[in-house]
Amino acid sequence: MARSQRKQLIATLLLMLCTAIFPTLSHADDAGLIVSAGVSRKLTKKLSMGFDAEFRSRNNFRTASRVGLAADVSYKVLPWLKASGGYDLLFDNNQEKLTYQDDGVSYNNWRPSYWGVRHRFNVSLTGSYKIQRVELSLRERWQYTYRPSRVIDNFDFDEGEWEDHEVKGKGKNVLRSRLQVEWDIPKCKFDPYASVELHSTRQLDQTRVIVGVSHSLKKKHNFKLYYRGQYYRDKSDDTNIHMLGMGYTYKF
Amino acid sequence: MKQIIHYSLLLVVMSLALSSCVKDDTDMADIIASYQVEPANIELDFSALTEAPDQPVTDENDSAYNDYVENSPWNKVINIDFDGNNATVTGRVAGVTIQTSGAHVTVINMSGPVKFIVSGHTTDGSLKFYGDKRFQILLNGAEITNPKGAAINNQGSKSLYVVLADGTTNRLQDGSTYTDVDEEDQKAALFSEGQIIFSGKGHLATIAVGRGGIRSDDYIRIRPGVSIYVNSTALDGLRANDGIILDGGVINVETSGLGAKGVRSGGVMTVNGGRLIAVNNGNTREDTSDEGLADTTACAALYCDSLLVVTGGTLKLKATGDGGKGINGKHDAVINGGSTTVVATGTRKVKKPKGVKLDRNFSITGGYFYTYSRRSDPLDVAGNTDIATGYKTCDFGPKAIIIAY
Repeated sequence: MARSQRKQLIATLLLMLCTAIFPTLSHADDAGLIVSAGVSRKLTKKLSMGFDAEFRSRNNFRTASRVGLAADVSYKVLPWLKASGGYDLLFDNNQEKLTYQDDGVSYNNWRPSYWGVRHRFNVSLTGSYKIQRVELSLRERWQYTYRPSRVIDNFDFDEGEWEDHEVKGKGKNVLRSRLQVEWDIPKCKFDPYASVELHSTRQLDQTRVIVGVSHSLKKKHNFKLYYRGQYYRDKSDDTNIHMLGMGYTYKF
Repeated sequence: MKQIIHYSLLLVVMSLALSSCVKDDTDMADIIASYQVEPANIELDFSALTEAPDQPVTDENDSAYNDYVENSPWNKVINIDFDGNNATVTGRVAGVTIQTSGAHVTVINMSGPVKFIVSGHTTDGSLKFYGDKRFQILLNGAEITNPKGAAINNQGSKSLYVVLADGTTNRLQDGSTYTDVDEEDQKAALFSEGQIIFSGKGHLATIAVGRGGIRSDDYIRIRPGVSIYVNSTALDGLRANDGIILDGGVINVETSGLGAKGVRSGGVMTVNGGRLIAVNNGNTREDTSDEGLADTTACAALYCDSLLVVTGGTLKLKATGDGGKGINGKHDAVINGGSTTVVATGTRKVKKPKGVKLDRNFSITGGYFYTYSRRSDPLDVAGNTDIATGYKTCDFGPKAIIIAY
């Protein structure tokens, strides 16, 4: 592929990335940002570990929605198979919740947004297959998230007063299946990639679509710029969100 | 060039991150403030009331003429004095037969207007009247408890004038179980088939533990100067089938029976003066019909099957039980004056505890009207709501409504 053609291709992909958000946006959808920074260390030929910090926003980039810290270990079982495990400490800004009486008009309860902690554990198996310069990978991840109980403010419209409301501790198991394709373009420092990920509990709850590019600098610095669309099956609890993602990883 | 790109990217990230400091909560401050409303305080009030002089109707053609005890001759007098398990009857009137069994007194009145002056104390006695002649009971410091039925039971259909002797305190109480007589009603501690007209400047306390407090199968009129307290843990407190006219007096009604009403009027209820406070602490009664269907009956401080008209006086009505309504009206309610304060603070597990519920129309042209419901509609009108102009306040909140002229 000629240099000019490659540049044209990259430009097209970036344009697609930048405009990918807007055609899919509906009035009911939200938009936000994901910014992450991390370090990755190869301990042995097969074993590596990493730490990551992440920030997310919602409400059309105006409201912080999550701050997360993550640690993970991965092990190359076979040249094409990787096993990994990790822990995430998540600080979530839980969105407000307003409920109505049976008539659908009168207010019942209002719980303002609040920050809460969650603990997440995951184990994954990732199989990869390379066809020339295109790498296909399939990752199956089991994820368990625990939300400790806590007491938050709730306004009871019936009583006309604020009351303490206990959010009970709860655990949730999710199976995440991700199919990713990554293209290593010769003599190009930008590698486009795309993935589709399905989140299932007892049924499909969420679909994630990612389109992005990654860029490596001196094999130590890795940058990512991507679009991530999160689409929910039950929109009464969650709103579809279109996110602009930026990530940096320092490898040593 | 690379550095410029990296720094630009960092700047973009920082800008976006810093701009993420806005909360995305709905602005509920004003809405919440409108819900943080404490209800008007309603408590029983036995304090004296300054009232305009009671002016008896003197026009014989006036339909209310016969409601005034002053308009009948009371030269025929019989005294009944209770003393423990005995009753002493003095005075003889032709056409009046009196039988006593311990402190249970039965009067058959075939004469004209007769005045019975009742006094003394009994815990196992009663007064029962037969005869279709109007008559007067002057309660002159009487305390009568009948453990097996009504304390006073009038089977006649003519006017019963209950006069509370000035400065006296009187007390009537029924029993938890009634011994009924075939084809005779006894629906309350003070029961009358005919109309009851209260007058005088004394006090009457009626305690109901088996059935109602005060009940007429005709109508009840209460005149200025009277002080009445009704406490019913069983059925309705004060009830009349054909209407209630409150011209004055201090009336306190307290009820707590399942599905009971503090005040219940089957006919037109008119409040012209006085002060009526009804507090109902009862919950909704849940029954099963003969067909096996679930049936529920909610409590109300005031229940009116017909028109409710307030032209003066003070009405304070409070329901605190599940589904309890302040006013439950099956017809129109018209407020032309006076002060009407209604509060419902009950839960809504079975029924909705509305402040005022009307199956027809509501109109207000004067006076003061306040209604509050903690957990349901303060004012629920199935028909039209007509608020005359000229008000000083007309405030419709989610919990409370105030209209004042």
